[in-house]
Amino acid sequence: MSAIIVDDVSKKFRLQTDRAHSVKELVTRRDRSAGADQFWALRDVSLDVPEGSMYALIGHNGCGKSTLLRCIAGIYRPTTGSVATHGRISTLLELGAGFHPDLTGRENVYMNATILGMGKKQIDRVFDDIVDFAGVGEFIDSPVKIYSSGMYVRLGFSVAVHVDPEILIIDEVIAVGDEQFMRRCFDYLYDLRRKGVTVVVVTHGMDTVESMCDRAAWLDHGELQMEGPAAEVAGAYLDKVNAAEREERAEARAEALANAEAGGVKVDFDWTREEGFGEEIEILGVNIVGSDGEPLTTAEPGERLAIEVDFMAHRRVEEPVFGYGIHTEAGVHLSGSNTRLDGLETGTVEGAGRITFEIEELPLLPGRYEFTVAVNDQWVQHVFDRHVRRYVLTVNRGAEAIGAGLVELSGKWSIEAK
Amino acid sequence: MSTPAQVWQYRTLIGNLAQRDLKSRYKRSVLGWLWSLINPAVTLAVFTVVFGVFLRAEPPVAGNGTTSSFALYLFSALVAWNFFSGTINTLIANFASAGGLLTRTYFPPECPMVSGLLTTALQAGLETLILMGFMVLVGNVSWTFIIGLPVLFLLALFAYGVGLVVGLGNIRFRDVGYLVGIGLQVMFYATPIVYPLSIVPEGWQTLIRLNPLTHYADGMRNAFYLHSMPTAVNWSVMVGSAIVSLLGGWWIFSRNAPKVIEEL
Repeated sequence: MSAIIVDDVSKKFRLQTDRAHSVKELVTRRDRSAGADQFWALRDVSLDVPEGSMYALIGHNGCGKSTLLRCIAGIYRPTTGSVATHGRISTLLELGAGFHPDLTGRENVYMNATILGMGKKQIDRVFDDIVDFAGVGEFIDSPVKIYSSGMYVRLGFSVAVHVDPEILIIDEVIAVGDEQFMRRCFDYLYDLRRKGVTVVVVTHGMDTVESMCDRAAWLDHGELQMEGPAAEVAGAYLDKVNAAEREERAEARAEALANAEAGGVKVDFDWTREEGFGEEIEILGVNIVGSDGEPLTTAEPGERLAIEVDFMAHRRVEEPVFGYGIHTEAGVHLSGSNTRLDGLETGTVEGAGRITFEIEELPLLPGRYEFTVAVNDQWVQHVFDRHVRRYVLTVNRGAEAIGAGLVELSGKWSIEAK
Repeated sequence: MSTPAQVWQYRTLIGNLAQRDLKSRYKRSVLGWLWSLINPAVTLAVFTVVFGVFLRAEPPVAGNGTTSSFALYLFSALVAWNFFSGTINTLIANFASAGGLLTRTYFPPECPMVSGLLTTALQAGLETLILMGFMVLVGNVSWTFIIGLPVLFLLALFAYGVGLVVGLGNIRFRDVGYLVGIGLQVMFYATPIVYPLSIVPEGWQTLIRLNPLTHYADGMRNAFYLHSMPTAVNWSVMVGSAIVSLLGGWWIFSRNAPKVIEEL
């Protein structure tokens, strides 16, 4: 049974310039039917959202996701094609849509719930739940204009999910709330889905798509690229995004190389040296390189990569200890080690050299990570040189589904009867 | 196209919208609700002085055979006018302010319009009660007061239909807002409110009679001041204009409102 059937829907908008603003313009304008100023936000899109499923719409900004949502919600009428829905629809398309700033939270809850089609008695029954879930507490009797944006969206979300919808349509608004609230939202959505509510979400969070949604549709420039099981669609979408990014990266790198060569400079970033460091051994350059040996700034989980440190020993040094550290953007020290701990004898160094730290399978999950590189004396008492959290690596989601958190432990599951 | 049944489903919303408008209208004002009475009172006073005193307009004798008050003669028709112009202006404002909301969430676009009509009907009811109060004070009371009810009801339908169209047009073309301002001004003087129809030169009378509002104003005067039944012509114009306006307005509005909303 389908909750929503989108049948060959196209939606055409006229650009603002094409619109007559006065009766005079309407009469005097000549080329009214000229197609140049028209814009197809959706073209021949057909979807089938099964009842009780969680359905994601994905795609880059301006791909037509929101237009499609509005067509489903009945706000827009398709230019051609049709949308059929079965069940009561509740929408959450914009943060606190319909909140009147001068009215109190209580008054706005009633207002908003009636906009979503509820009667007064129904609202009375769920009013306390709405307020509890939104967590606005005593502010419920204050005008919403004094609310923080978080409170605003929480109250809006809370109303939208408590009006007992059969179909819930959500644009990316939830992203505004804090982590805790977002988690509660998703828990709640999950509950709703279990109760048989059909949920359609627009999201950029591929985690959400993979972990919560059953099916997904990927729109690109108003056209349906792919429709199917959520993980597959999300994977295909990410493949394309990553490919585009790699291309961009390669271009940027080529440009940087060209510039550097033109200036006669060895390709390296211009890191200013810390005071007093680098007298005995100096770190000249650090590159995080991929399996092809090319420097990179982004990677995917599980990728093979290496940290290459070029150094110059200005005098003979015995058994220097090289180390690395990895921090998250927020400053959590994720990992760190050095050649001494790992049992590598570095011997005696003098002049230029390179030390490499290889990572077979990058255990980091998506996020931004900052790498520290240091070189110390053999007892790790004296720091010769160090570059603290200078080298940034952004880990992107790959095509494969993976777990949550910061690191991938690569453990193995097993189960047996006992 | 929204059917009346769909709009009925949203009756709670309509009530809440009306309540919200009434609540927020007089927030942060000292006199609050009194403003809704001060406005018509001042209009009434000004017209009474200008036309009744300065221009010495002669009002006909009232239904009780003795009273002759220009202020009350004027007031009877002014209630109808205030209801009409108030509805037009409120519907324009309501559609404009609901526009943003309509692009974000779905509900029948008729809702803010019906709620606008409710608020102006409330105002008209209030003014009618005050009018009746004055009539009681001067001893000009009759069963014909009851006629005011169907007259105001038909006027509500007529004003609503017109309001739907201009409210919609105002969003689409900025000209409409200006046109309505001028149009209302012309209409006010093209309706026998501050003058009796009898003082109008013969040839012009026909023109004035073509104005549906003339018959609503007549209806109100008959009911509250003259205590006589409105004429058959009055009734047929009222009923006819109300039906045409309501159906036409509803048709135009429900066909075009979604398109206009999309272009907001």
